[in-house]
Parts: sequence; structure tokens; C-alpha cells
Amino acid sequence: MTDKQDKKLHGTYAEFDAVDTLLAACARVRDAGYTKTDAFTPFPVHGIDKALGIKPTRLPWIALICGATGTCIAVAMQVWMNTINYPYIISGKPFFSMPAFIPVSFELTILLASFGAFFGMLVLNGLPKFSNPIFTDPRFDRATDDKFFLYIDAADDRYDRAGVTKFLEELGGGYTQDVYDDDSSTSSPKAIWVVLGSVIFLSMIPLLLVARMRVTTSSQPRFHVFFDMDFSPAKDAQMTSSLFADGRAMRTDVPGTVAIGQFDEDLDFYTGIDFDALTRREPVRAAHLVRAIADEESDDAETAATDESIETADEPTDAAAEPEAAEPEVTGAPEVEDDTPWLEKNPLPITMAVLERGRMQFDIYCATCHGNNGRGAGLVHRRAQRILAGAWVQPSSLHQDTLYADVYPDGKMFSTISNGIRKMAGYSSQINARDRWAVVAYVRALQASQNATLDDLPVDKRDEIRKLQAEVKQRLEEQAEAERLKAEQAAAEKAEAEAEAEAEAANGEAQAAESSD
Amino acid sequence: MSEHTHKTKPADDPSFRLPASLGNLAIPLAIGGAVLLVVGVLIGLMAGPGEGIGPQRFTMSAYLVAFTYCFSISLGCLFFVLIQHLCRAGWSVVVRRVAEILMLAIPALAILFLPILFASWSSQGVLYAWGYEGYAESHGVPGEIWTEKVRYLSSDWFTVRSIVYLVLLSGLAVYYFKLSRRQDETGEVTLTERMQARSGPAVMVFSLVTTFAAFDWLMSLAPMWFSTMFGVYIFAGSILAAHCAIAMVTYLLQAKGAIREEVTVEHYHDLGKFMFGFVTFWTYISFSQFLLIWYGNIPEETHWFYTRLQGPWESISYGLIFFHWLFPFLGLLSRHVRRRPTLVFAWAIYLLLMHFIDIYWIVMPEVGPSLGGAGGVLATLLLTSGMIGLYAGGILWYTRVNQVRVLAVRDPRLPESLAFENI
Ligand code: HEC
Repeated sequence: MTDKQDKKLHGTYAEFDAVDTLLAACARVRDAGYTKTDAFTPFPVHGIDKALGIKPTRLPWIALICGATGTCIAVAMQVWMNTINYPYIISGKPFFSMPAFIPVSFELTILLASFGAFFGMLVLNGLPKFSNPIFTDPRFDRATDDKFFLYIDAADDRYDRAGVTKFLEELGGGYTQDVYDDDSSTSSPKAIWVVLGSVIFLSMIPLLLVARMRVTTSSQPRFHVFFDMDFSPAKDAQMTSSLFADGRAMRTDVPGTVAIGQFDEDLDFYTGIDFDALTRREPVRAAHLVRAIADEESDDAETAATDESIETADEPTDAAAEPEAAEPEVTGAPEVEDDTPWLEKNPLPITMAVLERGRMQFDIYCATCHGNNGRGAGLVHRRAQRILAGAWVQPSSLHQDTLYADVYPDGKMFSTISNGIRKMAGYSSQINARDRWAVVAYVRALQASQNATLDDLPVDKRDEIRKLQAEVKQRLEEQAEAERLKAEQAAAEKAEAEAEAEAEAANGEAQAAESSD
Repeated sequence: MSEHTHKTKPADDPSFRLPASLGNLAIPLAIGGAVLLVVGVLIGLMAGPGEGIGPQRFTMSAYLVAFTYCFSISLGCLFFVLIQHLCRAGWSVVVRRVAEILMLAIPALAILFLPILFASWSSQGVLYAWGYEGYAESHGVPGEIWTEKVRYLSSDWFTVRSIVYLVLLSGLAVYYFKLSRRQDETGEVTLTERMQARSGPAVMVFSLVTTFAAFDWLMSLAPMWFSTMFGVYIFAGSILAAHCAIAMVTYLLQAKGAIREEVTVEHYHDLGKFMFGFVTFWTYISFSQFLLIWYGNIPEETHWFYTRLQGPWESISYGLIFFHWLFPFLGLLSRHVRRRPTLVFAWAIYLLLMHFIDIYWIVMPEVGPSLGGAGGVLATLLLTSGMIGLYAGGILWYTRVNQVRVLAVRDPRLPESLAFENI
């Protein structure tokens, strides 16, 4: 015992044989006013909190606050990212879509609440703690087996060693023991350090390798973790394939077949050119075109397309080149009469269904540049302006006189859509011919809509429109008035400020003059 | 506390019987309920909205609401009993008999299902629109799809399935009730073992039956709509309602002097926890069902929710979010609430009310865009209260006449349950 005298005393514990005696003892200890106490049992004992007078834990509050924080963070983050900072249309949903935000908010709430509960539990319990002096007594090991222990800490205000020991014995503690500082060696077993060291060392290796690779060059090809994602087995255009005798991955139509929906139409339908008229007037050119188109459809399409000579120049380049020359104000080239006999009339019957189809295709393919109303201010154009894209050419407004049916036949419009024009790319590979004609029809409708007079409308709609017009006009006038007032006020303020500044400057000068005197 | 500090009372202690004050309510409740039910039907038929078969359709749908409401409570109780056996639960023994009594209403409710069955035979589509021969044409459903649909949704096949569901569920309810009551007399531990051993397969049967019954009886009200989650959705509402009903009935029993010492604050605490948990579960499931459909945005799926976002249904839809979830969620969050039996009782009643709104919201929008006017609403409320009266009266009557104890007095786990503590 003597060597224990100079060691720090931590507290005293007593051993009990049964839960009931322990619980009774706990209650007595609590009633005696001890607060820094603890009980150790081999299994959870309900009611021991009450018996020891342990206050309900604050952990639920920590978890609640952390959970609520998680909700707020998640909602704020998503609103900021999706709605404010990077508004991006996903699945056609509004930028602010609460339903889409809920799963993430839910997950983050749970995550932070469980973090709060877990780490809060550690902190409130003073964990992690690798050793406790109470473990020094081998007899205490039975706390995990068949004995129950009650411990009173020396830090308790009422603690006095002899008194506590006696008290615990009175309560039925068969065996009491003081807890002194643990005098076993504080150095950890070497094996731990070896294992820890090796783990750290080994885990450095990949990092070091990566670091080295970042600063050196290598003649080796890149390492592909997911080979088939980097190199998709699917073939791209113009690639070779060992699968077919001719070595080409792209397959041509089976001879003698026609793709679905492309059978019943004639050449005019696919080019927008009146071939009868062309043949009558320029048989050579017509023959060229027919051959070029036939070639394009046959196996020799590639050669036909790449051959520069006029003999094989296909209709698309031809048609696309002509209007270019016909737009002197853009290109500055000498005016050349576009004498292609374009189809004047849309070969499709103009029905509501066709127009609807045309509107759909237009809104998908054209509106991004030309705008839904065709005035040339679509999203792409607006963005190009915002980022000051240098090479950008504004998409034409489709409501110019030069694009109306009387001077710009339907066939020509069809050709523009199919093959593109100057800066604009062709859409024949995205939109099939029937739909392109539908787009033409819709563009015509769009043009009509922008030039309609009240008399073009059904009688019963006219009043409604008149009312709307009046309303809009009034609103515009109000706006203009408000703006004018604002401008006036601003001007007045500015004038005032200037006058003041002048006065001040004059003042300053005067002072400077004075001081220099 | 340790177990032997609790003394179990003798099995024939009067406090294990249904209190007379409750038993005496049986007949008045049942008769009053039947009267209200009839009045509700009459008002529905006379003042229900719509032309032609409109009022009939409305009344039958309101009847389905009332039926589903009571049935789902019993269904949830059946699951409660099964799951207690499946996990060999100790805590719940003192309240399990209440659930057993409630679940025993299933065979009786099978009789009240008959009007629904008859309505499903109507070629006018009085209740289920798929019964109407011209449905495909009037709703623009392509013929070949409809041919496949009615292979499943035909009145014959529907009848067969409904009978199978009712027989299986009644069988489970009766079986578990009988064994449990036999144990009251004999105290055989083997009975508990047998019930436990069969609870696994029973739960499987239960889940399949519940899912399909939900599809047939409720989801098929909108014949072209489908949601694979719908069965779980109905189940979520049922199990929530069951826990509420158990808490409510237990509280009432205690208030009238039965099982006063047996059911403690600890059991209310647990029931409260489950109520809280299943409020969350219901929300989780119903939101998941909504989210997938909202995101996919396919007209054939969205129309169900679209219907419920029109007119008065819209406010009910939003109301469900706040009052079926947020409000009870926050209300039951605190342990202090769940450890106060009176508060648990109050929340149980509140949630049972919300459960009604939920069922109402599932069924009635399929009838039409309006609530049915004052007459329609009155009819719905009368029908439901009538059905509840009949349901409660019947249960009380059976319990009284057969001298059913309200506690499983010789369950081998009773001591464990009596000594149960949360903290
Ligand atoms: C990527 C943007 C973009 C898209 C998409 C686009 N255009 Fe254009 N379009 C332009 C630009 C740019 C011009 C002007 C070209 C120039 O002047 O160099 C133009 C010009 C035109 C013209 C005037 C041609 C002429 O002869 O002056 C028409 C007609 C036209 N587009 C129709 C369409 C139609 C129909 C579609 C949909 C199939 C479409 N555009 C899609 C960018 C686009």
C-alpha cells in the first residue's frame, strides 16, 4: 500500500453480486448527494439512469440541431446551384423544383443528424479514451461477465476515501477497491507502431507514384482503367470494321431497298427544285444533279461528295452556293441572278397537323438560334452576345422582305434548311425531308403571323385582340412615362452633383491660393 | 427493473375483461352506425353529384372510402400481430390482444365488402370504371391495350381475387386470434412457438395479398394508372393507423379501468415511437411514389396526381403534406410527448383522422373534380361514421359476448412485457 500513497487517487468502487443490490446501492448513493458516480454492468440495466440520478442526455438536441443544419445546407446549396448560380434545365423541370431537392435534403439531414449523434456521443462520453485506471484491477474485468460495479469518483465534492469505502461496504459492496493511477508502462507495444508505420508507408506508395507521374513524361500510352469506356466498341462514322468483307463499319442501303417513308416521293420533294423546269431550261445541269444525287445514294457517294469537279458536284453544294451569290449585301459579291427553278409551292398538303409538326421541329432545331418568333434572337445568339463571340453571325430574322414567299420560294427555303447557307449548317441529317417541308410551312405561318392585320383574324377574335392591344399600349406608355421621369430625375441629380463638385473645387482652389500666400 | 418485482395478477382478474361501460356501447354503436350508413347511402343517392349513374358512382365510392378506412385499420393490426411474433417481441405483449381483437374484424368486414363486389359487376362502371364497356372508346385507350387490360380487370377475375384475398386475410386473423385465446386458458408455450414459426410465411402471404388488394380495390379506380409502389403506400397508411388505433383503444380501456397496471408509460412510449416512425414511413413512401412519377413526367403516370392537383383536391394534396406529415412529425418528435399517454392518445386520434383524409384523397378524386357539394360531403361523412360505428360496435359486441380478455394473460412473454422499460 505504501507505494500507492504518492500516486494520484481517482476514486473508489465496490463490487455487487446482483442487479437489485446494485440498483438499491445506486439509489442510496444518489440520495447521499454524490453526483460524480458511475455503474458498470455486464448488460444494459434499465432504470439505472434514474437510480444514479443521471440527467437525460442532451444528445437528441445535438442530433436535432445537426439534422436541421443538414436540411438547411442542402436546400440552400441546391437553390443556389440550380436556381441562382448555374440555372440549367434538367429534365425540363423548373430551376427551382422542390421535389427534386427533397431527396438530397433528406439524405443530408440524416447524414448530419447521425454525425451529430455519433460524434456527440463520443464527445459527451469523453471518448476515445484508450485506458482507464479502473482497469488496473483484474477483478474489475468481471464487469463484462457476472459482476456489477459502482464507482464514486474522487473528484466528487463529498468524496473522502475512508467514508466512501465504508458507505459502499454498508450498501452491500462485497469488495471495495480504491483506484490509483495506472502504473503500468505507458509505452505502447512495438507491434502497434510497426503495423501503423507499415500501413502509412504502404499507403504512401500510390500517392508517391501518382506524384511522380505528374512531373515526368512518359512514352507509354495512357493507362486506361475502363478500357471499353475510353474506347467504345461502337463504331463511329468512317471507321473500319473487320466484320464485313469490304472493311467498312458504315453500311450502305441494301441494293434495291428504300428506307421507310422515302419511297413515294420524287426528286423534287428531296431537293426543292422543279426538275421538269430545270431539264427544259438547262438539261446539262439537271442531268448533273440527277447523277450526283443518284451517286450519293449509291456506293460511290463518298467519291461523289469529295470530288471537286463540277461534273460530280452534287445538288447540295450547288444549291447552297447560289443563294450566297444572291445576297450581295452580305457577301459583297457581284449580284448573280438565282435562276434555279425552285418549287413555288410546298408539296405537302397544308393541314393543322403539318403545321403542328413543323412548329415542333422548328422549336427543336431552329428556335435555339432564330428564336421562337423567328426574329433571330434565340438562346444561342443571346449567349454568343453575352460572351462576345467574335466570329458569330447573327441568325437572320425570318421576317425580312427578302425571305417572303414571293421572292424566296418554298423550294429555296427547303434547300436552305437541308443544306444550310453561308454560316448556317444544313439540317438534312437531323430532320427528314417531310419534316423539313413541314418546317417550311410553319415558317410561312410564322411570317404571316408577324404581318397579320386585324382583318386576317376570325371575326370573333378581333375584339379580344383589340382589347389586348389597348392594354399593351397603355402599359408601354406608362412605362415610357416612368422611364422619362426617372431619366429627368437622374439628370437633375447629376446636374446638382456637378454643381456641388464645381463649387467645392472652386472653394479648394481659393483655399489653396490663400495658403500659398 | 428486474422481472420478479412485478406480480402477475390471476388470469381471471376483472381488470382483464372489457369494462362494462364500453361493452354496453356495443349495441347502440352498431345500430346507430347501421342507421347512419343507410342514411348516408340515401343522401348520396339523392344528393350525390352528376347525371345518370353519377350519384350511384359517388355513393359507392364513398362507401369504398368508409370500407377501406375500417379495413385498413384491421389490416394493419393483423400485420402488427404477425410482426410481433416474427421478431419474438416482448414489449408488445400487453397491447397485442387489443390488436388481435381489432384484426378479428376482417372476416366481418368481408361481408361489408359485398356491395363493392356487386358494384364491380356493373357494366355501367358504377364503382370501377373498367367495368364500363365503353371505357376504352370514351377515354381514347387503344383497343389492343384495353384488350390486355381487361384480361386482368374483368369482374369475374376481380371477384375471384377479392374472395381469395378476404379468405386468406380472414384465415390468418382467425388463426392467430384462436391460438392466442387458447393460450389464455392453457398457457401452452408451444402455441407461441407455433405462431412464431408460421409468422414468416404469414407475413409473405400478407404482403402479397395487401399489395394486390390495394391494386385491385383502390388503384384500379383509375384503370390506366399504375404504380408498383401503391401497395406499400396503402400498407404504410394501414400500419400507421393500426398503431394509432391500438394506442387509442388501450387508452380508452385504461380510462375505463381495464389493464391499468399492465400497460405503462413505457408501452405508450413505444407506440408513440412507432407512430412517429410510420408517419415518416408513410411520407417516405408517398413522396417516393410522387417523385418518380413527377420526374418521369409521362402523361399516363402523371394524370393520377394531376387529377389530385385540380380544384379542391389541390388543397387536400398540400394539406396532406403539412398535416399528415410535418405537423405530426414535429409533434411526435420529442420523447416528452411520447411518454405522456394522454398526448399519445390525442395524436393517435389526430392521425386516425388524417388517415381518413388520405383514403378519401385516394378514392374520391376518381369520381369527379368536386367534393360532391354539401350533399356529397355529408353523405361521405355519414357513410364513414356509420361504418366506424358498425365496426366499433361489432368489435365490442364480439368481445363482450365471447368474454374475450383484453390482455394475453398467459403469454410466456407477459412478464417481460410487464417489466418493459425504455430507459
Ligand atoms: C446554329 C444556329 C442556327 C440554327 C439552329 C438555324 N439557323 Fe438558320 N441561320 C443561322 C445563321 C447564323 C444565319 C445567317 C447566315 C449568314 O448570313 O451567314 C441563318 C440564316 C437562315 C435563313 C436565311 C437564309 C438566307 O437565304 O438569307 C433562313 C431561312 C434560316 N436560317 C432558316 C432556318 C431554319 C428553318 C432552321 C431550322 C431548321 C434554322 N435556320 C436553324 C443560324 C441558325
